[in-house]
Amino acid sequence: MRIVIVGVGGQGILFSSKVLGEIALRRGEKVVGSEVHGMSQRGGSVISHFKSGDHFGPLVQVGDADVVLAFDTDEAIRNVSFLRPGGTLIVNCDDPARFEAGAMGEYLRDKDIKVLPVDGYGILRERMRGRFLFLNVMILGALVASDSSGLSMEDMESAVADLSPERFRDDNLKALNLGFER
Amino acid sequence: MSERRILLGNEAIARGVVESGCAVATAYPGTPSSEILPAIAAYSDEMGTNTQVEWGANEKVALEMAIGACYAGKRSCAVMKQVGLNVAADPFMSVAHQKLDGGLLVVVSDDPGCHASQDDQDSRAYAAAAKIPCFDPSDAREAKAMVADAFDLADRYGVMAMLRPTVRVDHCRQDVEIMDDVVSQKDAVFDRKPAGKRIVMPAVIHGFLDDHSDRFEAIRGEFGAMDRYNFEVPSEEPAKLGVIACGISYSVVRDILNRLGRKDVSILKIGTPVPLPVNLVEDFVDRHDRVLILEETQPVVEGQIPNRTAVMGRWNGWVPKTGELVPEVVESLLLRALGVEEDLSDREVFNKIEEELSPEKRRPRLCPGCSHRPAYFSIRKVFPDAVVASDIGCYGLAIAQNAVDTNICMGGSVTAASGIYLAFKADGKGTDRPIFATLGDSTFFHSGMTGLATAVYNRHAFVLVILDNRITAMTGGQDHPGTGDKMRSGEEGVSVSIEEAVKGCGVKWLSVLDPYDIEKNKKTIEKAWEHASSNREPAVIVFRHPCITMLKVKPEYRPVKVDPSACIGCGLCIRDFNCPGLVWDQATGKAMVDDRYCVNCGVCVAVCPKGAIVPEGGDR
Ligand code: SF4
Ligand code: SF4
Repeated sequence: MRIVIVGVGGQGILFSSKVLGEIALRRGEKVVGSEVHGMSQRGGSVISHFKSGDHFGPLVQVGDADVVLAFDTDEAIRNVSFLRPGGTLIVNCDDPARFEAGAMGEYLRDKDIKVLPVDGYGILRERMRGRFLFLNVMILGALVASDSSGLSMEDMESAVADLSPERFRDDNLKALNLGFER
Repeated sequence: MSERRILLGNEAIARGVVESGCAVATAYPGTPSSEILPAIAAYSDEMGTNTQVEWGANEKVALEMAIGACYAGKRSCAVMKQVGLNVAADPFMSVAHQKLDGGLLVVVSDDPGCHASQDDQDSRAYAAAAKIPCFDPSDAREAKAMVADAFDLADRYGVMAMLRPTVRVDHCRQDVEIMDDVVSQKDAVFDRKPAGKRIVMPAVIHGFLDDHSDRFEAIRGEFGAMDRYNFEVPSEEPAKLGVIACGISYSVVRDILNRLGRKDVSILKIGTPVPLPVNLVEDFVDRHDRVLILEETQPVVEGQIPNRTAVMGRWNGWVPKTGELVPEVVESLLLRALGVEEDLSDREVFNKIEEELSPEKRRPRLCPGCSHRPAYFSIRKVFPDAVVASDIGCYGLAIAQNAVDTNICMGGSVTAASGIYLAFKADGKGTDRPIFATLGDSTFFHSGMTGLATAVYNRHAFVLVILDNRITAMTGGQDHPGTGDKMRSGEEGVSVSIEEAVKGCGVKWLSVLDPYDIEKNKKTIEKAWEHASSNREPAVIVFRHPCITMLKVKPEYRPVKVDPSACIGCGLCIRDFNCPGLVWDQATGKAMVDDRYCVNCGVCVAVCPKGAIVPEGGDR
């Protein structure tokens, strides 16, 4: 499994890759990935690569990712090139039309790439009093729902619960389910 | 007992250090190396070793502490990033030539591609210059194993050894095997014999030099036999191409060959680039018609190959001379070396997509709510034409608000301000133009104090602004002499006062301000320059406000909104204040608050000349 997670500093991208790593480790798979540190001040682009199974290097190559998790629409546009034909794009986005029209729509259809838009900010504004820090876990919920990763909700729930700091545990699980049901 | 855990490359290195029985570990934080020392502290606690862990005020200090511990017969280790090694280069070169008692390891993290650095220097070249052995890991697991072997080698030969991970190794996450055992160590002793053993002076050093060279050659022989780090992965079909791969490039190239399904490429992996096991390399080159060399960042291995006629590398320009060897780059090099045409059609599609959807470009900038932003804004507001020298630290990101004019290295702002003043002085216009130097609290202790003492002594007129956010923020929030907190819970430090240090340097005019208070601070900024220029000496302002992302107390909640009827769309708040929480509304041509990024600090109220940014009131 090769996943690229993209977004903006402050969105909790590193936590998501930790959760994915924990699940893979519990399944007895090998894990390697790459994080970005420093210069990724809040508001700057962040990208994290995740690979489980038999791989050597930590980076996912362009055209090779099974899934791109995009916490931000602009970052999704910039990094859609990571997806392999038949891959899945899960994107936090309030305007799915951006991925249907024009060169983008054509490319995604051409490569048979599945798109799963989640209006993360909208849902969090409405259901969790605008606490946007739960976006990361919400996207993980959508990842499970997309069926593109072979991850079960039980595995995901227990990894999120175990890795969450105590005071965020319940809200994280709530956000996870919001993402799953979307 | 052993166990498999997912570790950051830096944590794997730290685990290796503790398992190796290292007694004293020191560092100055620098991305990508910063997580190593705190992880050493954590593993030491977990494993019950009494490893001493200390931040040094800078890398030279850190390395010298480790050297002292090694003089007392203990295994010790100093950790830094590549540019930090420049700061520590003085003791590094000297100690390289000595015959040491304990095992000394320097871990230097390089940053090919300059993700968080001002250059892409290759520390392996430092190892070559100092004639010390260097290990170049290809992943986290190997990095951990290499720590153990580096300590062993250092112990046996009495040399300093280097581990040189690159950013992709430091920041990879990988499942790694960890052990419970710790290599046991002798008690600390300081052996005074033979006399002069630890003295560097010409008469003594001459005797060391040949011995040092001999040890280097002996280690080259050992490296030739270290087949866990230097080995061949033969091709399954007759080889069309040989690849010599070092460090992370080895991992990258293996994934690519699997992906392409090529079975006609053989690889020679080199994990110990200095001193290069030349025999292995010559033999490999002899057996292949064409050999591609992949190494980051400089041709350190390539440059040590006696006959380079059959190789393609960075030295002869076959591989790009700069930059990170990311998978895309390696793949196109491989295909070119194999004579395969690359399919570039997708690239055109991506260009078209970006053109159509024009995603917002995100340059690094200060965080929303960051206290550095109003500090710089206030300086520029009072003196739009001031020369503002800054240096390496997150405050350098104020370049995005057009507030920073120069940036050399840590501590370089104070001394650059001195130089700028002297340049004007040489023309007889010393104080015509305001000069400001800005640096952070950690940077002040790192190497700002020496520049300040020099400026006081020589009477240089400028205002030194110390942006004290109570943490080393850029590298992830490490403590330093100013915070007084130590990285291990239970250990108590003492906070060194910046004000007292400034006064101790002989500064006569000093003011401490809260950068959030833009209106109030303008007057003081004016007065500071007035003092500096009329008395021809440095004046100092300390802007003190804790880093917004690492606040230990909850910040005040002061939400704002833009009143569209008052906003004239001048764009000043976006251009000169540049908070990610303030964005441009295309539809109305006015500014607005973006609730996704705004942290409700309320500072921007003072920014708009039309008073259009107003407090919103209300509760959290
Ligand atoms: S809010 Fe004020 S500073 Fe910003 S664009 Fe409007 S008028 Fe200009
Ligand atoms: S209140 Fe103003 S300065 Fe503070 S984060 Fe929000 S937009 Fe930025």
